[in-house]
Amino acid sequence: MKISYNWLNDFIDIKDISPKEVAEKLTSSGFEVEEIKYMNEHLHDVYVSRILKIEKHPEADRLVVCKVDVGFKTVQIVTSATNVFEGAIVPVSLDGADLVNGVKIKPSNFRGVRSDGMFCSGEEIGIDENYFDGAGVNGILILPTDFVPGTKIEDALCLNDVVFDVDVTPNRPDCNSVVGIAHEICAIFGRKFKDCDLSYKTVKENINNYLRIRVESSNCSRYAGAFIKNINLKKSPLWLRSRLFACGIKPINSMVDITNYVLVEQGQPMHAFDYKFLEGRQIVVRQAKNKETISVLNGQTYTLDDSVMVIADERKPVVIAGVIGGVNSCINPNTTETVFECAVFDLKSVRLTAKKFGLRTDSSARYEKGVNINSPTTALKRALHLVSELKCGEIVEGIIDVCSKKLNEKRKLTLSFSKIIKILGVDISKEKVSQILSNLGMEVSINGDVLVCVPPIIREDIENENDIAEEVIRIFGYDVYNDLQGVPFENCAKSVGQFEPRLVMENNLKNILVDEGFYETLNYSLYSASACDKLLLAQNDERRKVIPIANPISEDLSTVRTVMAHALLIDIGYNLSVGNKEMRIFEIGRVYQPKALPVTELPTENNRLSFAVCEDGWDFFRFKGIVENLLLGFSLNYKLQRSNQPYLHPWVSADIVSEDGKVVGWFGKIHKTVLKNYNISQDVFYGELDTDFLASLPEKQYETKEVSKYPSVERDIAVVVDESVTNEELLSGIKSSCGKVFLEARLFDVYRSQNLGDNKKSMAYRIVLGSDDKTLTGDEVAGIIKKVLKSLEFRFGAKLREM
Amino acid sequence: MKQQLEEILKKSLTEIEKSVDLKQLEDVRLKFLGKTGELTMILRGMKDIPAEERREIGMLANSLREKIETSLSQKFSELENAKLLADMEKEKIDITEPSTGTKKGALHPLTRFNNKFMELCVEMGFTVIQTPEIETDYYNFEALNVPKNHPARDMQDSLYITDKILMRTHTSTAQVHAMETFKPPFKIVCPGRVYRNDDDSSHSPIFNQFEALVVDENVSLKDFMIMVREMAVRLYGKDVKMRVRPAYFPFTEPSIEIDATCQMCHGKGCALCKGTGFSEFFGGGIVNPKILEMSGIDSKKYSGFAFGPGIDRSVMVTNKIPNIKYLFRNDMRFLKQMR
Repeated sequence: MKISYNWLNDFIDIKDISPKEVAEKLTSSGFEVEEIKYMNEHLHDVYVSRILKIEKHPEADRLVVCKVDVGFKTVQIVTSATNVFEGAIVPVSLDGADLVNGVKIKPSNFRGVRSDGMFCSGEEIGIDENYFDGAGVNGILILPTDFVPGTKIEDALCLNDVVFDVDVTPNRPDCNSVVGIAHEICAIFGRKFKDCDLSYKTVKENINNYLRIRVESSNCSRYAGAFIKNINLKKSPLWLRSRLFACGIKPINSMVDITNYVLVEQGQPMHAFDYKFLEGRQIVVRQAKNKETISVLNGQTYTLDDSVMVIADERKPVVIAGVIGGVNSCINPNTTETVFECAVFDLKSVRLTAKKFGLRTDSSARYEKGVNINSPTTALKRALHLVSELKCGEIVEGIIDVCSKKLNEKRKLTLSFSKIIKILGVDISKEKVSQILSNLGMEVSINGDVLVCVPPIIREDIENENDIAEEVIRIFGYDVYNDLQGVPFENCAKSVGQFEPRLVMENNLKNILVDEGFYETLNYSLYSASACDKLLLAQNDERRKVIPIANPISEDLSTVRTVMAHALLIDIGYNLSVGNKEMRIFEIGRVYQPKALPVTELPTENNRLSFAVCEDGWDFFRFKGIVENLLLGFSLNYKLQRSNQPYLHPWVSADIVSEDGKVVGWFGKIHKTVLKNYNISQDVFYGELDTDFLASLPEKQYETKEVSKYPSVERDIAVVVDESVTNEELLSGIKSSCGKVFLEARLFDVYRSQNLGDNKKSMAYRIVLGSDDKTLTGDEVAGIIKKVLKSLEFRFGAKLREM
Repeated sequence: MKQQLEEILKKSLTEIEKSVDLKQLEDVRLKFLGKTGELTMILRGMKDIPAEERREIGMLANSLREKIETSLSQKFSELENAKLLADMEKEKIDITEPSTGTKKGALHPLTRFNNKFMELCVEMGFTVIQTPEIETDYYNFEALNVPKNHPARDMQDSLYITDKILMRTHTSTAQVHAMETFKPPFKIVCPGRVYRNDDDSSHSPIFNQFEALVVDENVSLKDFMIMVREMAVRLYGKDVKMRVRPAYFPFTEPSIEIDATCQMCHGKGCALCKGTGFSEFFGGGIVNPKILEMSGIDSKKYSGFAFGPGIDRSVMVTNKIPNIKYLFRNDMRFLKQMR
């Protein structure tokens, strides 16, 4: 919000404090000043001057040479402007001036004739026709004849203000106004607030003879109106225009300017109607009827419905309440009688309406933050005071005030002083606390531990010790906390910290993958539902039930993910597209499975580890090694089964199945169609683990036994079997026929050849045998191997391969 | 005879000395000490020597033999060492050739920062917890004193699923879960993802925060500040400077914003910190007693403080990441810089 420094001085004397200091103190007490704008920044070395004499330029037809009185000296200006004349009062910029359009002035030479500076247009001074008559013309700004040469232009045109752009936090709606901020500055600097002048003269007539007000909508808790006749509509005085201008509001005419002035000063939005267009001489505050229309000041026509509150006359809506006025009843040059409105509308109703039409006005912005129920009559009186002072109409006696809510009254809070100090943790004396609170306009007394205070009516936000603690410390100064040394939690219970077990476990998994050369990625957990198509999920796949975002940012971020694989495939596709090769990547993230659609209760959030490789030199078994290493640290007995994950290769993929049959993960080559869907031209291996499940497993226990004193024996065998016989089957056969002396068996070679016959393969195993109580003899070993071969032949039709 | 022996000694020692490799040395040994070696021959001819000389000559010959053998063995180890050295020289390599085997990958910068921070919190006695990312309006707003009409509830700011269910907009939801779950006193911290309806060059719709909450009988703003300072020192070094500014959050009162020395310019002033030398570190404050009461904690007995910064900006600054979009783009050229 823009606040004028000159305006503040109406309510508190701070002329002796620099704007910079005011801004710094405001910021440090909770009202961040985001910008300080000096209105005169580009007006130094610009003065009011009188043109004494104009002569033709000896060398140029289009130029004239002017003798100019700048008050303190006479200068010569060469100009091409055609609207200058002898005796004209004009702004002149001299050596050193740095105008708003970037032009820097220094003495120069125009075809042999010296020019000491330049005459300025309104634009070069940064003003327009609304601000000052003549500022909009195409040429030099001709000033009124009573302007005195030598006066700084900033003083002559009231452009000597300083504007603060203040960020007001939502808990302080009372500070969305000049008076609100002025009160704060009073407290900061310990100065007195000068009350607003609310006095005005009236004509002895009864307002009720002119106007009736009826409030039908429950969204309006107060509506106050006043009536002014014999309007003398004119341009507002320069001081008033300059204040609106400083706050970025366009001056229009005295009546409209007064409503805007009160809005900024008091924080109370106002509206002014042309009385003759109020049919039935009445104002009705009601919800709009469906399909009712209104044409408003921005040139648009809106079709309304009953969610919109309007101010209407007997027949038609004339204002969208709190947002924007209609064209039919606005103040215009022919207006002779006016009704002023000051009301309190429900902030939600105004916000929804403003949003519905995409309209955000100064008025709606104030209403959205909340307008105090006590504010309308004060603001109305302030407006009438200005009408009276500017002599722009006759005020009919009386104010119509329809109020359905109890007005705020002063509240007496009884609080604990020691609790306030305990919250802050720094010692501040009772005297100091008392002084700060009374500077904030509170009545306060402290007896022993009992602090009694009565906050100003507008400070609805103050309720408890915490609120008072904040008031005290923000004025006392937060600097006491800068660079504090010491031990935290000195007076608190001692506690032992604890990591979240799943996060610790996930970090271990991450580190295993990092050691294997993987890079961690982060992906959005929102995606387009089309991911399910790309991943070939069946129509009845539960994961097709994705949760839609009601107000998505884009199609790509329109649903909450139910599958992890999409993100890594997108990452791989992206990296390939920019020429990156050799990707080993992983992500730990969540999938969100709704219980039903549409969503009525919170979904299940499941944490997953997903990992993928897109690199030469990888096959299923190398990738399987990664999976095994990841699962090594868990007390999990698992089996591999062929996977039917739709996005995995049907023959080169596996589900990881726990002993009780739960699928806790899967991995394998990505399905060739899926690769195509993601524009990936080489093989990708992908795996996924349910880390919630892994976190639920009991900690793995390591039990060891004595190492045998006797040497072990190794024997290699190779058997030829049908392709359908698996390594797992052969291994279990070897193990069971070796019996007690079995230590280990490992497949070390698989060989396929025409010589072996169709659909046959040779599997070579190294078998390690040993005993805890003796060295096995050659005969014993030979006997066992014979038994193994016999058993494999019997169970799997395995034939010893002749080497 | 004696003279002959002296000759042999002299000759053999010279030849041993002259040997350049083990083969030559062996030849020398054979020449003098072998079966038909010169010394051997002499010793074998001892029986022809008169008895009175035999003893003397015998002693001389034996000592001579010892001398030759000692010299031979010295020379042998000398030549053998030389040979091993020469062999090793043949194995000489270019040590600047690349390593082989698996090259380590890297964690995401956000994870690194998060881990470091969580360790810090645990050391300070916090328990790390996790809560849902999809939340009800109650946990995300109502229980945190964000009133029904607060602009933060606008569709513009939050990603809604239904009127009552949304993607959490902050990890402050963890405060409510913690207050319902734990009995005071407690200290919790919750890291996690949060969502906003905001996607432009400097905002990501998904980003990361953590929320910490302390509830105890005697917690003050001073404790909060000392703790935050300790955290800043651990993260940014002991020269870090702190600055406190007032702020507003619906769930804390008083609320403060704490700045720490800007890690981009180290306090010199830069574009990021708008020349102030400080950048936002933490926001938080004393828990609003209304919130304690709403979650069933006696606000007369207990107070607390809560804070919850976004970590993406800190990560960007500490790792000099040029653009927030890098964090989720997963370009290998970026990720590999985190090794």
